Amino acid sequence: MSIKSILDHKISRKSFIRGMPAVAAAMAAAPAIQLAQTSAAVASEPETKPGYYGAPRTWMWNPNANTMVDTTKWKKAGPYTIGFSNASISNAWRVAFQHGVLWSAGQHRDEIAHLLVTDANDDPSKQIADIQDLISQGVDILLIAASTEDALDSVVGRATEQGIPVVMVDRKVKTPANYITYVTASDWALGRLEAQWLCETLGGKGNIVMLPGIAGSSVAEIRIKANEEVFSKFPDIKVLEKQYCDWNPATGKSVMAALIQKHGKAINGVLADSALQGYGAIEAFLDAGYKDGEFPPMTGGDVARMYQLANQHNIKMVGIDYPTSMGITGIETALDVLKGISVPDKVEVSFQVVTSPGADTISVKGDRHLLDHVSMSDPGDLSPSNGLPAGYNPSTFNPDYPK
Amino acid sequence: MSAITVDLRRNRLMLSYLIVAVLLVVLAVAGGLLSDRFLTWRNIGNLFQQLIVLGMVSLGQTFVVLMGGIDLAIGSLVGALTVFLANFLEWRPDLVWLALPLALVAATAVGALNGLLTVVLRVHPLIVTLGMSSIIFGATLMYRKEPGGSVPRAFADIAYAKVGGIPFSAVVLVVIFALAGLWLQRTRTGRSIYFVGGDREAARLNGLPVDRIVVLAYALSGLCAGIAAIFLTARTGVGDPRIGAALTLQSVTPVVVGGTILAGGRGGVLGTFLGVLLVTMLNSLLNFVNVSSYYQWVIQGLIIIIAVGIHTTRRR
Repeated sequence: MSIKSILDHKISRKSFIRGMPAVAAAMAAAPAIQLAQTSAAVASEPETKPGYYGAPRTWMWNPNANTMVDTTKWKKAGPYTIGFSNASISNAWRVAFQHGVLWSAGQHRDEIAHLLVTDANDDPSKQIADIQDLISQGVDILLIAASTEDALDSVVGRATEQGIPVVMVDRKVKTPANYITYVTASDWALGRLEAQWLCETLGGKGNIVMLPGIAGSSVAEIRIKANEEVFSKFPDIKVLEKQYCDWNPATGKSVMAALIQKHGKAINGVLADSALQGYGAIEAFLDAGYKDGEFPPMTGGDVARMYQLANQHNIKMVGIDYPTSMGITGIETALDVLKGISVPDKVEVSFQVVTSPGADTISVKGDRHLLDHVSMSDPGDLSPSNGLPAGYNPSTFNPDYPK
Repeated sequence: MSAITVDLRRNRLMLSYLIVAVLLVVLAVAGGLLSDRFLTWRNIGNLFQQLIVLGMVSLGQTFVVLMGGIDLAIGSLVGALTVFLANFLEWRPDLVWLALPLALVAATAVGALNGLLTVVLRVHPLIVTLGMSSIIFGATLMYRKEPGGSVPRAFADIAYAKVGGIPFSAVVLVVIFALAGLWLQRTRTGRSIYFVGGDREAARLNGLPVDRIVVLAYALSGLCAGIAAIFLTARTGVGDPRIGAALTLQSVTPVVVGGTILAGGRGGVLGTFLGVLLVTMLNSLLNFVNVSSYYQWVIQGLIIIIAVGIHTTRRR
C-alpha cells in the first residue's frame, strides 16, 4: 500500500494491512503531507498499549504463497449499505464482537450510509430468513457470522449468485466458493504458541495436563492437534491427562480439582486453550491450598479474570485471546471488497501474545504483559482483545453507528 | 346446537379474522412508512418464501388444537426428519422420489402414535407429546449430534423456486390451506374434529368414532410436520437435530392469534394463515427497522398472551 493509495482511500483503521508499520513510518517521514483525515483517525486510535499492530502474522510469515482475491468486480461507489447477520449475542464474546462491528461502522460514517444488523439467536432457520431480509433491503455487501457451517451454506451461496458479495466473519460456511473471504484468527498458531511456551518454560521436561474446550468442536480439536505437533518435539514432556472442559469455568474448576486429587504436585504445567476453563483451574489450585509461587505455569486467554488471578497470585502464564476485534476487521474487510482492494482468501487477525512478567521464552515473546492487557478493575468476563476505545465496558457501551 | 349460536360463533370467528387482518394492514403500512423497501415486490416475495415452514407446522397444530389437544412434539419431529432427509439424500441423491414419501409416512406414523398414546393411556396430550418430543430428540442425537448431510441442488430449489414470480412454496402452502379449510368445513370427518374438540363426551354419545378422530388429528399434524421438514431441508440443505427446537412454541402462536380457541372446537385455518402472515411479517419488519431479535421474542410472547386474552374475554 502506497501513500497514494492511502490518499485515495482514506486508510481504514487496521484494514487488512492493519496499521502497517511502513505506512506509519512513511507518514512520520513526510510531515509535509497533510493527512488531516488520516491523522484524525489515528488520534482516535484507542490502542496506545504495547502490542503488535502489524499485518496479520500468519499472512506475513506464511512460508507459502498467500491467495489474494481480486475484488475489482465487486467495486462500486459509496456510500454503502452493509448487512450484518450475526449468529447471536448469547455470550460475552459475541457481545464484544458485535460491539466491534457497530463501533467500526461508526468510525466509517463517511463510507457507510447504513449498517443493518440482524441477530439469529443461534437459530439457523431464522438466520436464513434474516439474510433474505437483508438482501431484500438492497444491501451492497453481507457480513455474516454463520450460526452453523452447513445450514447457512445454501443461502450464502445464493446471495453470492445474486451478485451480493459475502464476507464471513468468526464463523464461515462449508463451501469456500460461496463467499469472498473469511475473517478469523488462527487456532493452529494459537495452539502451537501456547504449547511451545509451556514446553520451553518447563525446560522441555515435565508432566502436563490438557484442558481443551468442547469435544468435537473444530476450534478445540484444531488447537489440540497444534498442541500435539509441539509435544511431539519434546519427548520428555508427558501428557498426564486430557479432559474437555467445555470452555466453562465451573467445569474447568471441577476437572482440575479432580486432577489435583489424582496427581497432586506431579502436575508441572497446565495447558488450557482458553481462560474460560483456565481461571476455573486456578481457582481449583487455590482451593487445594496452593500458595503464591507454587502454581505450575499455565496457558489461557479470552477473558480478563484469568489474567487478573495470574497477576494476583504470581502465576507464570501466557495468554492468547481469540480476538473479538475481528468484528472491526470484518467491517474493514467488507469496505476493502467494495472499494476493489484485494483481500486474502482468509483474513487471520493477529492476536496479542500476553505473558506474565519474566515469562518470555526463547520462541515465545510477549507483545504485552498482563497488566498492559487488563486492569485489575476490569469486569472478570471482559474480552480484553476487543480493539475498542480504552475503558470499554460491555454493559454500558452503546456505539453510535449509521443505522 | 341452535342456529343462533352457530351464527354467533361464526361472527366471533369473523371478528378474530378481522382483528388479525387489520393488524396485518397496520403492520404493512407501518413497514411502508419506516422503510421504503418493505413494500416492494421483492420483499413481499421474500416474505412469502419464508411462510412455508411456520405455515405447515401451524396448520398441523390447528388440527390438533381444534380437536381439543396440543402437539408439543412438532419441533423435534421436524428436526429428526431433516436429519433423515439430508442423510438419505447425501447417500442416494437419485432417490428423492423415495425419500420424500418415506419422510411423510414416518411423520404421519409418529403423529398417529401420539394420538394412540393419548387415547389408549388416557394421559394428557401435553405429557404424551412432550415425552415423545424428548424421545425423538434423544434418538436423533444418538444418530447425529452435529448438523450434516447434503441435498442435491434440484431438491434445494423447491424452497427457492418461483412460479411466475410467486414463490413455489407459497403456492403449495395456499393450496394446502385451502384444501384443509374445505375439508374441515365440508366433510363429515372434518366437521367431526370440531365436534370432538367442542365436547368429547357429547361427540361420543352422538356415535362419533372419537378415538379414531383424535388419532387422525395427530396424524395430520405429523404429516404437516413432514411437509415442513421437506421444505426446511431444501432451504438449509442439511439435517440438523436442533433446527426445529423453536418451532414447537412458534406453531402455537399463529393458531391462537388466528382465533382458534385452545380448549378446542372453535377456530379455523384461515385465522391460522393470517396468523402465520402476521408473525412472519412482524419478524421481517423488526429486521427492517433494526430491532434486536430479543424484542422479537418479547413481542411474540406478548402477542400470544394478548390474543388468548382477547378471545377469552370476549367469550364471557
